[in-house]
Parts: sequence; structure tokens; C-alpha cells
Amino acid sequence: MVLSVKTSLNVLAAILWCFLIVPEAVGQTQLRFVTWRSEAAAVWQELIAGFEARNPGVKVVLEVGPHSSTEFHDLVTQKLRNRDPEMDVFFMDVIWPGEFAAAGWALPLDEYFSVPQQKEFLKAPIAANRYDGRIFGVPLFVDAGMLYFRKDLLAKYKLAPPRTWPELVDHAKQVLAQERDPYLTGYSAQFKQYEGLICNMMEFVMSNGAALWDEQALKSTIASSRAKEAVRFVRDQIIRTISHRGVLAYQEPESLALFIQGKALFHRNWPYAWEVANDPERSKVAGHVGMMPLPSFPGHKSVATLGGWQLGISRFSRHPRLAWQFVEYMTSREAQKQIALATGRGPARADLYRDAELLAKHPHFGARYDTFVLAEPRPRTPVYLPLSNIMQRYFSSAIAIPDSNIDQLARVADRDMDRVLDLLRERPRP
Amino acid sequence: MKSAKDPAWRFLAPSFLFVALFSLYPIIDSLRLSLYRMILTLPWLGQKFVGWDNYQDLFSDPVAYQSLLTSMTFVALTTPIEVLLGLGMALVLNESFGGRGWLRAVVLVPWAIPTVVASQMWRFIFNDRYGLFNFVLFGDATDRYWAPLAEPGLALMSIMVADVWKTSSFAALIVLAGLQGIPRELYEAASIDGAGAWQKFRHITLPLLKPALLLALLFRTIDALKVFDLVFVMTQGGPADTTNVLQFYGYKKSFAEGMIGYGSTIAVAVFLLSLILSLLYIRLLGARLLAKEQPA
Repeated sequence: MVLSVKTSLNVLAAILWCFLIVPEAVGQTQLRFVTWRSEAAAVWQELIAGFEARNPGVKVVLEVGPHSSTEFHDLVTQKLRNRDPEMDVFFMDVIWPGEFAAAGWALPLDEYFSVPQQKEFLKAPIAANRYDGRIFGVPLFVDAGMLYFRKDLLAKYKLAPPRTWPELVDHAKQVLAQERDPYLTGYSAQFKQYEGLICNMMEFVMSNGAALWDEQALKSTIASSRAKEAVRFVRDQIIRTISHRGVLAYQEPESLALFIQGKALFHRNWPYAWEVANDPERSKVAGHVGMMPLPSFPGHKSVATLGGWQLGISRFSRHPRLAWQFVEYMTSREAQKQIALATGRGPARADLYRDAELLAKHPHFGARYDTFVLAEPRPRTPVYLPLSNIMQRYFSSAIAIPDSNIDQLARVADRDMDRVLDLLRERPRP
Repeated sequence: MKSAKDPAWRFLAPSFLFVALFSLYPIIDSLRLSLYRMILTLPWLGQKFVGWDNYQDLFSDPVAYQSLLTSMTFVALTTPIEVLLGLGMALVLNESFGGRGWLRAVVLVPWAIPTVVASQMWRFIFNDRYGLFNFVLFGDATDRYWAPLAEPGLALMSIMVADVWKTSSFAALIVLAGLQGIPRELYEAASIDGAGAWQKFRHITLPLLKPALLLALLFRTIDALKVFDLVFVMTQGGPADTTNVLQFYGYKKSFAEGMIGYGSTIAVAVFLLSLILSLLYIRLLGARLLAKEQPA
């Protein structure tokens, strides 16, 4: 069949349309905000409508990207490296400010975001947003690794919540042996080869008094004997002894699903899990869940990996001042409170942890404050992702292969990380 | 030699421009970039010409070797299975029976589903607790359940299963086209000469189907060498890096880590590999086709 001239023209016009940028309505300024879909989308819509009402003539366009940090990173960096002037404000994972600052993608916010203003936020996320003495993002909410446990099961066998990792393994062994439920697993966490593996393993390594690398000396410390000891513990005590091997393919949703089905005794996750685990609609263990800081190795302090999301402004934005107004509004006390009320994610502003209304709805915020203040950011560096990929390969190989040669694997990772860190030495001192 | 005024030139120009813009330019630019050290997140390093350094790094990179091996295993196991299954399906679909049109459409469904959706589906199927895979295999004996995507020894195989499921029907499509090009009279003549079904298949179908089979192999090989989406959705290269195929490794270098120079080097290596394999197949294919076109 031959297409008529008219049809062909229509098709052509349709194709051309796809390439045309829809012109902004006269007198209207568009602000494009690239984010992922919030659990409390309605609250976001309300907040955005509020901003538009206060700023007549401004339209905020939400561009919703993938939820996974790695995939969202692809989307945002794609726009930034193409110097896309359409994107004004973007969501930033806590590990990106260093990279975005060094690459010249994120706008330094010092002229808008003064040091006294920064002091109103928790210290750890502010530190994560600083690079070379300047600030590149405003924290919206913070996450920190937490230990969730089944209060009812521990009580049934008269066990106290564990303070150390060996204690946790010991408790799990006792409960598993007596429950005789083939479905039940001792420890459900995120051990798949992806960014979450770094968060989980960093907690084991650092709570044994070791570190991933030395930020000052630009040297890897991943092959230190304490770091290796922690990795060996995960392989032999966690994976081989109290967990089933499926956890090696788990990200947050799968590991949480197991816990709320009542099939895990201990569970490591971010604070959002609290809301889910205690929601009777979604969780079979609602009301039986305890939450506490993660255990540590004997003689060392507990460590929670700092997570969380910030708002950054693109250096290529056509409306940086307006973009700032939007960021300021979205990270204001009121907005953070609304979001915290709806999602249960920890706000980034320190005084909200003493807010009566918030504490009434989420009493655990009071207890959680310590964890957020103490949470360890992953080391800041523009080469975070290459380092992360090397460590992901190392950790996954070390724990997924039952008879892995940890010394050998750690040596290789150590050498590879040093090679990446060496790139930073070529940097001209400002 | 024809002159440039020949209208053929003008008719070909748009396609040539298209190919130049969307194929030639990216290939040449990747080649150029592979000779530079360029790291997006370290702009002060600039774009430094380093000659063959990236290639030397590639040859001494154990992760790259492992990825190459993973990709080659993937190609070597999936393509023959897919073409054989495709042949089987095509033979069935070429017979006339009631509902054939319907069945032909159904067979194409896996191929028509976007790979990302199919990968997500297979990720659920292989889930260690609620996956269909375990239920079919072990039913209620949950203590025997496997975690295919968590086991270094099984993860790549799981991805291969998903790939075979997804693309065998594509091979079938090509083979079916080949089957329909075989003249009926040959079979009739063979029947008169008293040939059985097997003899007809062995001496008529198979030889005449060779170009189509080679074509299916060619397409599948190149596609399998470039497998990316299944890995991206199902395993992200893990566990223990066992599903880190070359294309995924290159993607991580270029897009996640911002190492444009080294990432381009990997892309060029994948390109050269597919080129060599394609040339091999085309030699096999081309020789036959050319031989047929020779005027008697």
C-alpha cells in the first residue's frame, strides 16, 4: 500500500514534533526538577503547588526518573555532561556531590546557603555536600543503616537485642535451631553486587575499627587485617551460617519483603523500613518489630552508613536564582516536616528531631537522632564510582564464593583502588 | 566507472548520509576517544593523547579478560541452542495445520516483549523464595530451593535461559523465511523418487536452508556478543562478577565511572570482535550466494 501524500506529511510532522522543544508559554518560566517517584507523591505535589502559588508565572515540571541510585545517576549525569539547560534542579544521592562538584556540574551554593544556615542541618549530610571548602547541595532527608529485629522471637527465647555481631550470629543460631522453620533466615540484608553492598560491608568493616580507604593519604586500606577479618566474618558467620544464599541477590525491596513476611529474624535496612514493617496492611509482623543501631565487633563502636538525598542545582540552568528559591522552599523546615510526617524518612534539619508533632507520629525519631548524627558518610571523592565498582567486585567475590581466597582478592582490590586514587595526585593545588 | 552525474548517486546519497551520521561517525569518534585519557569527573586531567596506552591497559586488565570469557561463553552456548530451537519451531510452523497463523503469532510473543520487561519477569521467576522456577522444580520442599541469581555458578546460566527463551523465535522467523523459499516441486520430485521424510530433510531442506541458518547464526552471534539489558536488569554483573559481560563492563566504565577513554577502548574491542565474527560468517554466506548468482 502506498501512503498518501497527506498521511506522509502528517507522519513527518509528528516526527518533527518529537524533536521540537515546546516553546514556553509567554510570560511563564519553567523550572525542571529531575527526581525519582517519592513514596509520598501527594505531599510533593502539594508542596510544588504551594511553590507555584507563591511564585506566579512559574511552572515546576517534574521529571520522574528511576528509583535505583545507579540508574538515576545515569540519567542525571547524561543531562549534565550534555550541558542540558532544561534541567534546573536535581536530586542527588549522598555519594555524588564530590563527583558533581569536581566535574563542574553542580552549582556552588555558598552565596545562597550561608554557614549559619548550614548549621541548622545535621553535620554528617552537610559534610557530605561540601567539597573543596564549598557547598554543592542542600540535604532533604537522611538515611542511616539500622538493625530491625523480631521482638517476639527474641522474647520467646529470652534473648536480648544483640550489641555485637558475634552475639547476633549466636542469637540467630539459637532461634533457627529451635524454630525449625526452613523458611526462616537469620539475617536479611543487601548483599547483591551493587552500591548497597558497599553500604552493608562498610558497616561491618568500620565497626571492626577498619576503613575502606584513607581520604587524606589517598591510600586504600581495604586489605588491612581488620577489614579482611570483617569480610571473612560475613562470609563464614553470616552467609554460610545464619542466612540463606538468596541474600546474595537481594537489594532493599527483596530483603525487606522477607522480613515483613515474618521470615527473617534480623534485618538491616534504611529507616523507611520502619513504616513498612509496622503497617498491618503490608506487614505480617507489624507490632513485633524492634529497631536499634547496628551491632559492632567487640571493642569497637557501631557504624551506620549515611545515606540520603539532597537537592542540587545544575550549573547549566538558565534560572539559577529561581532554582535556589525552589531548593530553599523544598528544604525548609515546613516542607521537610511534611515529607518526614508522610514517609518516616529522617529529616535533615536537626531541630525537627525535637518537633512535638513529628515525635507524636514517629516516636522513634527521638531515639534515631544519635544514629543520624553519628552516621558515617562514604568517603567523599570525585572517583567514588570507580572505587565502588572495584569494592563491589571484591566484596561480592569474597562473600559469594564459599572458599574464596580473601587475602588474594583483597590484595588485587587494594592495588586497583590505589591506582584510581593515584589519579587524584595529579590534581593542581588550587 | 559511472560518472557522478548518474542519478543513482543522488538516490543513494540520503542513505549514505544517514549511515555516515549514525554509524560511521560514532565508530570513528570511539576510535579517536580510545586513544585519549579522558575522565569526566576529573576535568583537570584534560583530554590527554595517550596513544595505545588504553589498549595496553585492556590487554593487561584481568577483569576485561574475565568479561571477554563470560561474553564468549554466552555467545558459544546461546547461539547454537537458539538456532536449533528456531529450526525446530520453523519446521513446525511451516507445516499446514489448523490455527497455524495463530501459533505463528504466539511464537513471536517472547521476541516482541521489550527486553527490560522480560528481564524483570525472569528476575522474579528466579527469585529464591517466591520464584516460579523453584516452585516448578521443588514444589513445597522449600529447604531445597535454589537461588540461581545469587550463585556464582548459576547466574550466567539463568541469564542464558532468559536469552534463549526470548530470542529463539527470532531465529525461527529467519529460518521460516528460508523454508518458504524452497520450491515445493523438489519435495514432490523426491517423493516420486521414493525419498523418506528424513532423506528429504537431509538432502533438500538442510542444504537449501544453509544460508538462512547462517544468517540466523550471524544475527544471534552479534546480538549475543552485545548482550547488555538482561545483565543490567537481572544481576548488575554479579555475583562475584560472574555475569559481567564485556558490554556491561564497558558501560560501567563509560557511563557510571566517567572513564570515557577506557570505555571507548572496550567499545572498540567489542566492535572489532563482532566485525571479525561477521566477516567469518559473511565469507561462508557470501561464497554460497555469489556462487548462485554467477551466470551459467
